[in-house]
Amino acid sequence: MSKVQEIAAAVENGKVKIVAGLVEEALAEGVSPSEILNVGMIDAMSSVGEKFKNNEIFVPEMLIAARAMKKGIEVLTPKLKAEGAEPIGKLIIGTVAGDLHDIGKNLVAMMIEGAGFEVIDLGVDVPADKFIEAMKENPDVKVVALSALLTTTMPALKDTVDAIVTSGLRDTVKIMIGGAPVTQAFADEIGADGYSEDAASAAVLAKSLL
Amino acid sequence: MIIIGEKINGSIPSMGRAIAAKDEDHIRNMAIKQAEAGSDFIDVCASVPPEVEHDTLKWMLDLVQNAVDTPLSVDSPNPELIVQMLPFVKKPGLINSVSMEGNKVDIVFPAIADTKWECVALLCDDSGIPQTAEKRLQVFDALMAKAKQYGIDPSRLHIDPLVEMLCTSEDGVNMVIDVIKEIKKRYPTIHVTGAISNVSFNLPLRKIINQAFAVLAINAGMDSAIFDPLDKSLLGMIYATEALLGEDDYCIEYITAYREERIGIPKK
Repeated sequence: MSKVQEIAAAVENGKVKIVAGLVEEALAEGVSPSEILNVGMIDAMSSVGEKFKNNEIFVPEMLIAARAMKKGIEVLTPKLKAEGAEPIGKLIIGTVAGDLHDIGKNLVAMMIEGAGFEVIDLGVDVPADKFIEAMKENPDVKVVALSALLTTTMPALKDTVDAIVTSGLRDTVKIMIGGAPVTQAFADEIGADGYSEDAASAAVLAKSLL
Repeated sequence: MIIIGEKINGSIPSMGRAIAAKDEDHIRNMAIKQAEAGSDFIDVCASVPPEVEHDTLKWMLDLVQNAVDTPLSVDSPNPELIVQMLPFVKKPGLINSVSMEGNKVDIVFPAIADTKWECVALLCDDSGIPQTAEKRLQVFDALMAKAKQYGIDPSRLHIDPLVEMLCTSEDGVNMVIDVIKEIKKRYPTIHVTGAISNVSFNLPLRKIINQAFAVLAINAGMDSAIFDPLDKSLLGMIYATEALLGEDDYCIEYITAYREERIGIPKK
């Protein structure tokens, strides 16, 4: 098994204690930081997401995989910067007003960050005007990602999109939405640019929106 | 939960017959099964007449330690015999047990003072089993004074507050629960253990009583127990309780036990 495969296996199995060490070893062996990221982390988390979707693993198993990946990213980030890898874009993410769920949103943020974005995470229960404020402070933001986990907070997705339109900033960003009750049809209905059903495809979607 | 597997005990009829017949495979298999079920210690108790206990227990200990890597729990009512067995055991395990009866602690504690051996201690003395929490805690205090005298750290002790049968109890298990809580309060690093199935003696559907007791006792602070680790329902209840009490980060012990099919109903 190559070092990168070892990293991927450790991430998939949530072996948080050994990931950082394995990443150091791989770097010492001369493996490029981007290969470690793409194959050892992103692909591994995509496979975890796939297993979760197929009900093969449980939420905590996905969370420990994410935690393991985070440890690896911590080691990798300075190396990627040194390699001269610029962020491919800036993205704002948050769970909409009235909704306190953050697990899925955090996973999505991590995958998107792994995909090369600079991510601004506004947290949970974020009112529409806070998104707009963050957009004004960061005029170079390319994508806004909105999360809602409840049928009762889905309307806040629409409110947030509407508020962005009213603010006059709609043309400066692409908007993507997600969360358990959200569908492509709902995304179309409220005028979002994209929808994805899990963290791995959210990262792919974010890239495609650039 | 520190799991002490109880199945290799001559007082269990099938095991008693195996010991009498020198059925090595039976004992070895039971050791392996309990190790695979996640036992932290495998109890070995001969339950034979005193004149043959030495040779029988030594033979059993050897069988088990050659079959599995899990540390042993050396189980005998005779403290001198336990001490005689220690040199034959490959790695430090658990002594089962001492109490404040006679001079048991004065025989066992000095013998394990400078070792890594752990020790089960029952809260009874020459006057028998104290019937109030206060009196059991007095026995506990006397025991801890002995532990201090011989330099045994509390973290090496598994205190058995003595789980008695529910069917003749007047106040359920409240007294023993109080004792568990108090012991843990006084010595946070000490282990509290017990024979879970004692509680259900002579009641129907014993397994249900055992499970309910495990939940209450773990909630009170029991973190070690002697029971049948092959009982997947009880083991599952123990893992679930620990997860619910926030003692299992990400429920990973629970999920791992499930993945390894150590708990729950095996998949077809």
